Amino acid sequence: MQRRNLLKAGAAMAGASALSHAAIAQPAQNRVLKMVPQANLTSLDPIWTTANITRNHGYMVYDTLYGMDAEFRAQPQMAEGAVTSDGGLRVTITIRSGMKFHDGEPVRAIDCVASLARWMKRSPIGQKLETFVDALEASGDRQIVFRLKRPFPMLTSALAQVSNSPAFIMPERLARTDPFQQIRETVGSGPFRFVPGEFNSGSLAVYARNADYSPSPVGTPSLTAGPKVVHFDRVEWHIITDASTAAAALQTGEIDWYEQPPPEIQMLLRRNRNVVVEAVDPLPLIGIMRFNHLHPPFNDKKMRQALLPAISQSDFMSAIVGPDASLYMENVGIFTPGTPLANDAGLEPLKGPRSVDRARALMREAGYTNQLTRLIGPTDILAPSAMTQVGADLLRRLGFNADNAFSDWGTTVTRRTSREPVERGGWSMLFTSFSSFDFVDPSAHFPLRGNGANAWPGWPNMPRLEELRDEWFVAPDLDAQKRIARELQTVAMDELPYIPVGAYMSMTAHRRNLADRVKGMALFWGLRRI
Amino acid sequence: MFAYIVRRILATIPVMAIVALFVFSLLYIAPGDPAAVIAGDQATPADVERIRASLGLDRPYLVRFGAWLWDILRGDLGTSIFTNLPVATMIQQRIEPTLSLMIVTLILAVSIAVPMGVVAAWRQGTWVDRAVMGFAVLGFSVPVFVVGYVLAYVFALELDWLPVQGYTPFSRGFGPWIENLILPAVALGSVYIALIARITRATMLEVLQQDYIRTAKAKGVGQRSILFMHALKNAAVPIVTVIGIGIALLIGGAVVTESVFAIPGLGRLTVDAILRRDYPVIQGVVLLFSFIYVLVNLAIDLAYTLFDPRIRY
Repeated sequence: MQRRNLLKAGAAMAGASALSHAAIAQPAQNRVLKMVPQANLTSLDPIWTTANITRNHGYMVYDTLYGMDAEFRAQPQMAEGAVTSDGGLRVTITIRSGMKFHDGEPVRAIDCVASLARWMKRSPIGQKLETFVDALEASGDRQIVFRLKRPFPMLTSALAQVSNSPAFIMPERLARTDPFQQIRETVGSGPFRFVPGEFNSGSLAVYARNADYSPSPVGTPSLTAGPKVVHFDRVEWHIITDASTAAAALQTGEIDWYEQPPPEIQMLLRRNRNVVVEAVDPLPLIGIMRFNHLHPPFNDKKMRQALLPAISQSDFMSAIVGPDASLYMENVGIFTPGTPLANDAGLEPLKGPRSVDRARALMREAGYTNQLTRLIGPTDILAPSAMTQVGADLLRRLGFNADNAFSDWGTTVTRRTSREPVERGGWSMLFTSFSSFDFVDPSAHFPLRGNGANAWPGWPNMPRLEELRDEWFVAPDLDAQKRIARELQTVAMDELPYIPVGAYMSMTAHRRNLADRVKGMALFWGLRRI
Repeated sequence: MFAYIVRRILATIPVMAIVALFVFSLLYIAPGDPAAVIAGDQATPADVERIRASLGLDRPYLVRFGAWLWDILRGDLGTSIFTNLPVATMIQQRIEPTLSLMIVTLILAVSIAVPMGVVAAWRQGTWVDRAVMGFAVLGFSVPVFVVGYVLAYVFALELDWLPVQGYTPFSRGFGPWIENLILPAVALGSVYIALIARITRATMLEVLQQDYIRTAKAKGVGQRSILFMHALKNAAVPIVTVIGIGIALLIGGAVVTESVFAIPGLGRLTVDAILRRDYPVIQGVVLLFSFIYVLVNLAIDLAYTLFDPRIRY
């Protein structure tokens, strides 16, 4: 018991009624979980925006036809199962019976069809799936029928994908909203109901346990798959922007869980015996050095390759997580380490002794003539900011005529969309990081795209990467996918749409009395207080 | 007097119009694009354009300004780009914590600083005076966030007397409400106390040299009565002016204090909105702050008549 509460309890002893009130209140408090999420929850529509915090909100409120387990296998969630017929051209998914939305209406196949149609307009893998779909329709209340132009072996994986945006199921009346407009109501069929009356963006988001939720009857909780059994009546997301304050609140027990404490705060929290600091996801996030391929100097492949001997992944990663080598990984390629497609093809240039001199010599060979090189990056988000600082130092040591343009994240995001040359406000290089889910496979791996003008900022034009990506979508099995992944990495490490600069663990901190947290991200089923 | 008040209130209209034009123009030319933030990393340029168009951000400056101004005139502050909530609702959610913090800070600061300044002037040159001035220098010199962290560490983490963070609405009782406000108000009030104490001391020193004070002493009026009834009342005009000017200081300080103590007030709303480029929210909050500031100045001007009957409007 906290001293403050002890003093209060002492005062309350004067009246028997107060004592009985405290006795009743205690168990109720134990059924409330208070958590400080990674960011402020602003938008409530996980299809409209791709913010991770909104995706996490989505997993509270909505459910998906398929869940993804920790081995990245799709498992039935709302779906009972799927039947493939007509040589793979017709896929019929049957949903479980008895599921209800939070407004009491039953979940019907038509809700799923409308939700998937909206999702396919915004999600990258959904957009890919749409190119395979001839028709998507409901058959009765429980069957969803995909009629495909060509077989799409990744169908259930696409429906289970965790990377933004997951295929959340909403009532048809909401799912009919233009995908470029926000939905105006938050009604799902997931394990929690959103409490709109208590929502105060920037301060508090409240979720109440959905008493009508029927968890999947199969499997065990694993990432977003398996039964989602909730042990708290109420989950509160308290937005605390100041890391020291959040850490203090965790230490005093005012909150139960601090999703993403920065490294210096982690060191402080590790010293508290009531707090556990652990990896939020057993898989790491990946950092990248992205080039602008439209303008000199990095529109030249030889110039991009010239940097490789000087890239020390440990320098970039230790800037993010500190010197503890157990918190980061080196020799990282284009796929998330520890996942099926991760491999070592083409990674030799990133291994062995690092040499700035060697890189300088290669720059001269590539014909670097002191062109202005602009590094853009944020100062207000830890990982990109730390990598950008290391990158700025590296450019200086390499002898680039570098202009460092650091700003807040909002400005960086806008500035990176500029396709102008450096002299007219454009950029040459930036650093950012992606979650483990984004780099698990090529489906949501935006920096790996080589589709020129439509690619992620940097706009590399690398047709072979696109061909291999297309091949991967129709690969018949995991072995075939792995073969394609090796070739993708070989091509990527030669063409260099970007340079991987390492992988790091994202740590989370919670009170020691919380147990059975489902690993991967901030998920609230399975979790209980002991 | 009534005519003066009406004139002053009417005079706020052009002031607010200039503020509105200035804020809108500043945001228009500032870098940053909410559509790009919303669309996320994987969005194609066409997606970003569609979002921009759906938010009306692709319209020319004058069209956007005209539409916004028209909405303002109809009492509509607009809708947040991100939360889809009316700006008025968001302000309504946030105004109580900020007002509470400002009021408690103001009461705390005035009730501590004015007696401190009076005593320092009365005991000029003694250790009491030096201690008060030393405190004032400290209050000015130490940033609000440092005071906040130290207070939180000592009184919340170490002693566990008060909560680290958060805000409890007044409707849930005075106790929980004030419990959450003590540390932030002390932190925010430190600069304010220093400012008012120094001004009070300086003004009191000047007043205490006046002939009527000497006369009062000669008549045998008590020390307390001289200080608080005769001198302080005549020193009140500059003190009240500083308190009014300090409201701006409070608004600025509230942004930092609300962040340190996780108080869901207007200060944090403003910072969050600026970082996201949530234009309607920024515009709405800045307009509100401007309006409050204009009103406070009016109240200060009117308060002069209470302390100095020679002042007439």
